Amino acid sequence: MRLLTKTTLYFLLAMIPLLVVGGYFLYKQYSTQINERADKELVYEEVQWIQYLEAATANGSNFLLQSPDLLIHPAQEEPTPYPTITNTNGLKARSNEEIPYRQLAHIVDINGVPYQIVIRKSQEQKLALVSNITYIMLLVFGGLFIATLLFNWMISNRLWRPFRASLQKVRNLELQKMEAVRFEETNTKEFNELNGALNTMVQKIQHDYLNMKEFTENAAHEMQTPLAIAQSKLELLLQDSQLNDTQVGSIAQATEALSRLSKLNQSLLLLAKIENNQFVATETINLTNVTQKYLRLFDEIIKDKQLQVHIQAEEDFTARLHPFLADSLVSNLLGNAIKYNEEGGKINIQVSRSSFCISNTSQQPALDAQHLFQRFQTPNKGTTHSTGLGLAIVKRIVDTSQLKITYQYAESMHRFCISQA
Amino acid sequence: MIDLSLPFRETGGIFTTMKLLIIEDEPALRESIQTYLEQQGFVCEAVADFKAGLQKVQQYDYDCVVVDINLPYGSGLDIVKELKAIEAKAGIIIISARASLEDKLTGLELGSDDYLTKPFHLSELSARIQAIIRRRNFGGSKTISFQEIRLEPDAQRVSIDSKPVDLTEKEYRLLEYFIANQRRVLTKAAIATHVWGDEYEQVSNYDFIYTHIKNLRKKLIDAGSEDYIKTVHGVGYRFTDH
Repeated sequence: MRLLTKTTLYFLLAMIPLLVVGGYFLYKQYSTQINERADKELVYEEVQWIQYLEAATANGSNFLLQSPDLLIHPAQEEPTPYPTITNTNGLKARSNEEIPYRQLAHIVDINGVPYQIVIRKSQEQKLALVSNITYIMLLVFGGLFIATLLFNWMISNRLWRPFRASLQKVRNLELQKMEAVRFEETNTKEFNELNGALNTMVQKIQHDYLNMKEFTENAAHEMQTPLAIAQSKLELLLQDSQLNDTQVGSIAQATEALSRLSKLNQSLLLLAKIENNQFVATETINLTNVTQKYLRLFDEIIKDKQLQVHIQAEEDFTARLHPFLADSLVSNLLGNAIKYNEEGGKINIQVSRSSFCISNTSQQPALDAQHLFQRFQTPNKGTTHSTGLGLAIVKRIVDTSQLKITYQYAESMHRFCISQA
Repeated sequence: MIDLSLPFRETGGIFTTMKLLIIEDEPALRESIQTYLEQQGFVCEAVADFKAGLQKVQQYDYDCVVVDINLPYGSGLDIVKELKAIEAKAGIIIISARASLEDKLTGLELGSDDYLTKPFHLSELSARIQAIIRRRNFGGSKTISFQEIRLEPDAQRVSIDSKPVDLTEKEYRLLEYFIANQRRVLTKAAIATHVWGDEYEQVSNYDFIYTHIKNLRKKLIDAGSEDYIKTVHGVGYRFTDH
């Protein structure tokens, strides 16, 4: 629920008892006024009747008068000094409806005879008053409701504009593009506080991120030099004719391990660079062409493993990519399809306008699609000389190029498909 | 007899040894490069910083300068600029830990002939130095020879005792690499990287080299050459005449 809807709702809920109380007081006020007026009329009428009675009974005759609203008759009781005025209910004339009456009762002494005078006045308008007030209150409530909705809509549009702008910025925040992000000053104190905090946060994140980035790159670079030293020393050592086969073998293994380390280092550096968006997509690349290039490059090993490569590409799959990333993408996927293939296995490449798929046979069972693209998730660690970064690089390239990649295992083939995201 | 395969320069019928300058601040790496290249018959001078390197290139002539980019007191790129400014005839190879395309392009645009990313195989450096010198050695011999084998790099032709041998492109590159690093043990990885390129690291299995070497060896022997390709068990190969 929107914050504004919530406040409105609370506001309206609070309005209800206020309106009820207001309504009650209004009723009370009107009711008193109506009573007072009725009372005055009653008293005035009584006075008239008394005057009339005094004249009419001066000759000693008895007087009795009865109508729905008036009752005058001689009484046994003692006369009272003041009339009592009460509220009663009674039937409405010519109908069965019960309505409120204001009634005056007085026993007066008329020429020595006590007379009871009862006059009542219909207060039917009181009923109308209640319904009128309820009606007015409902009208007020409804008006308020509509007015608040309208105001809310307007306020929401205007007042919350800076908030929504900030929110949109936070949503679109990308680590690589944080430098340009700035939360503007507004004329609302709360939003200024929020934007201020966001600015500080963004600066801190960006600072940390740049540090990390710099660290990764520097670490990778710095590692290359000692690696170069160790590798060159081993290469020189290999030239020593005094060495026996075992020693030469050990040196070869050490060289191999060093080159793996170097490859790993370069892959990490590449990943960092892709993440840093250091490769800007400059052109639209046809992946079929890139694939053909790598098939030619890998021709030797394909022949050596007696792999059957089948390409089905009636249409071209194109993507906006940096050429280097396109190479990296295809060489990693194709390289894997070759590396993990079995002797005499198959590689199928299917290209359509919407997808680019490479599938291959392998001794490997189905891979865990969940962790496949994470770093260092190498199947059969130790048996292959994989850095465990190839698919992580592929994923990263795909993610930064508005593409997506899926993995399937069907009919004993591992299948990787790239399509537009 | 003068072994023409060794890095000699022919000037008016007089053979002089090729002179190299190595500018690299890491002592251990500098020594390795120097040792390896000297074993290959080059005369090597090695300095450790920008100032010394600049002085050397201003005072002496070299056939090839191997220069690192990050040096104490300055950038190797400025040495490349200086070499271009004084129109030195030396070939230039940049060796750097920076592998990015931009760095390579900057280096090459400034006039360096080649760019090698650390870590590299010493045999690769040696092969590239020789290729550069051959390309730049305008007046000199454009052929490479090793005993009875003779290579014409421009035409990629090979002959044994003047009899042509038909080699595939890969076999030619193999042979050229072997001769550039004659008598040295070459690992399969170094050979594969040189002949087939870095891409083959993706598949990280160098067994396929064996077939090519077997074919090359057979073609050379069939054409009347001695068997110079020796297998170094579990490591790689050595091209040697003794």
